[in-house]
Amino acid sequence: MNNLAIIETILRSRNRFFIEIREGVELSQKMRAMLISSIAFFALYGAVMGSTHSLWQTLSSAVKLPLLFLATLVVCSPTLYFFNLIFGSNQSLAQNFTLILTAITVTAVLLLSFAPIVLFFLLTTSQYQFFKLLNVGVFTISGLVGVLFLSQGMRLVSDSGKEGVSARRNVVRLWILIYAFVGSQMAWTLRPFIGAPGLDFELFRQLGGNFYANVFASFGEILGFFTVR
Amino acid sequence: MSDQRSSRMEQILDMLVEEIEERLWVRKYRPTEVAPAEPLQPVEELATPSSPVEAEVEPPEPGSELEAMPPESKLEEEIKPLEPEFEMELPPMVTGPSHAARLMGRLALGLLVAIVLINVPLNRHGMTLATAMPDRAALVITDGLVVKEEDDDEIYVYQDGKLRWISSLDAFEHFGYTWGDVRVVEDGFIDDFEIGAPLHVLLKCRQSPHIYRLEGGEKRWIRDIITFTTEGHIWEDVRFVTCKHLRDLPDGETIPPGSGPPPQP
Repeated sequence: MNNLAIIETILRSRNRFFIEIREGVELSQKMRAMLISSIAFFALYGAVMGSTHSLWQTLSSAVKLPLLFLATLVVCSPTLYFFNLIFGSNQSLAQNFTLILTAITVTAVLLLSFAPIVLFFLLTTSQYQFFKLLNVGVFTISGLVGVLFLSQGMRLVSDSGKEGVSARRNVVRLWILIYAFVGSQMAWTLRPFIGAPGLDFELFRQLGGNFYANVFASFGEILGFFTVR
Repeated sequence: MSDQRSSRMEQILDMLVEEIEERLWVRKYRPTEVAPAEPLQPVEELATPSSPVEAEVEPPEPGSELEAMPPESKLEEEIKPLEPEFEMELPPMVTGPSHAARLMGRLALGLLVAIVLINVPLNRHGMTLATAMPDRAALVITDGLVVKEEDDDEIYVYQDGKLRWISSLDAFEHFGYTWGDVRVVEDGFIDDFEIGAPLHVLLKCRQSPHIYRLEGGEKRWIRDIITFTTEGHIWEDVRFVTCKHLRDLPDGETIPPGSGPPPQP
């Protein structure tokens, strides 16, 4: 199946797509197509983010952004699989993986659709903190829609197992929280993605601080309460 | 009573239709794995009194609508013609790049071109369209940031939460800063920060034991080692120059003040 056509299938006929996953239809092709598409889209969005700083940052972010999502996927998918298994799911790991990959692909597509807007702000503003928060907002919206797809998919795919349906739904909700925490910490570890003006290019920045405190501080600086140091 | 029966019959028929729908769909999209078709679940089995609701089903009364219904085997055959109609109801599967997929591809390609264009250097300093915006508002306050207010010549460096004044051009060069590092900020920017100890460069020539601190273009003799350490200096701050260069610099106040006429190197 065409790599991009599969995305259209996800967006247009998601129920059918999820039922195919439930039935185990062409899982490996689906995974391959979604992996290729999402890596390409993440790389493009990463390149847009990194363009604010330098060519090296552009290339670095183009590699790091797909890495961020794939690493989060690898870290989080066993949890979802085993917890679902405990609560009576009959899904295979491949089905679980495909479902999470669906969420990630939807996130990648939405990021791609936001990229022209981000590019516009990149060329017309110079406020680093604003640009950072703009990206946090874009990632939040795209990620939320992605996990919404995952939640729907899980309901459709795992409800075929008769026992523990409500428990499995709660597991998915809890897992989404874990996924968000792991993802934000992974992003903090792999930063910078934008590259601070006035600083030289760094592949990775020293650990210290945390994602949430930094977002809070950036809000504070934009609103004029204090300066991020 | 007959209404109740007909609604149950409808329930049974609905279950049958759902089952057929499911199997048709699986057959269609998994042609290679088609297992020998299982016989359709007979209506009789569906109507097995396994639940209290179903257990209430009574045999049809003679002459009623239910009795006129065809037997189960005929029922199967009658449902089969529904297949094409059902197939039409299913949304078409996307098999090739259609409008949205094409648009996505073009958007990705367009973005790639845009990314390349905004990263092409426009001048010999390597300025690109993406980095062309003045970054005054984009300062990140971090150790090593060098700033200068618009209407003031003094240069400060941010270290350990404080701004430290760089006391001379020699000190500026000695600590490895370049003009490219200096960020021009609006007047009053420095007032928001705590001011730390100034950054001085200490000058010494190899033929003389004396050490001088360069401050505002003048050399200030440091009387002894105790004063040297009390002032917070370290040996790494000492820069070696020629004695002639030192002699050419005008003398300033000694450190500490009033230590007598400064010796010449």
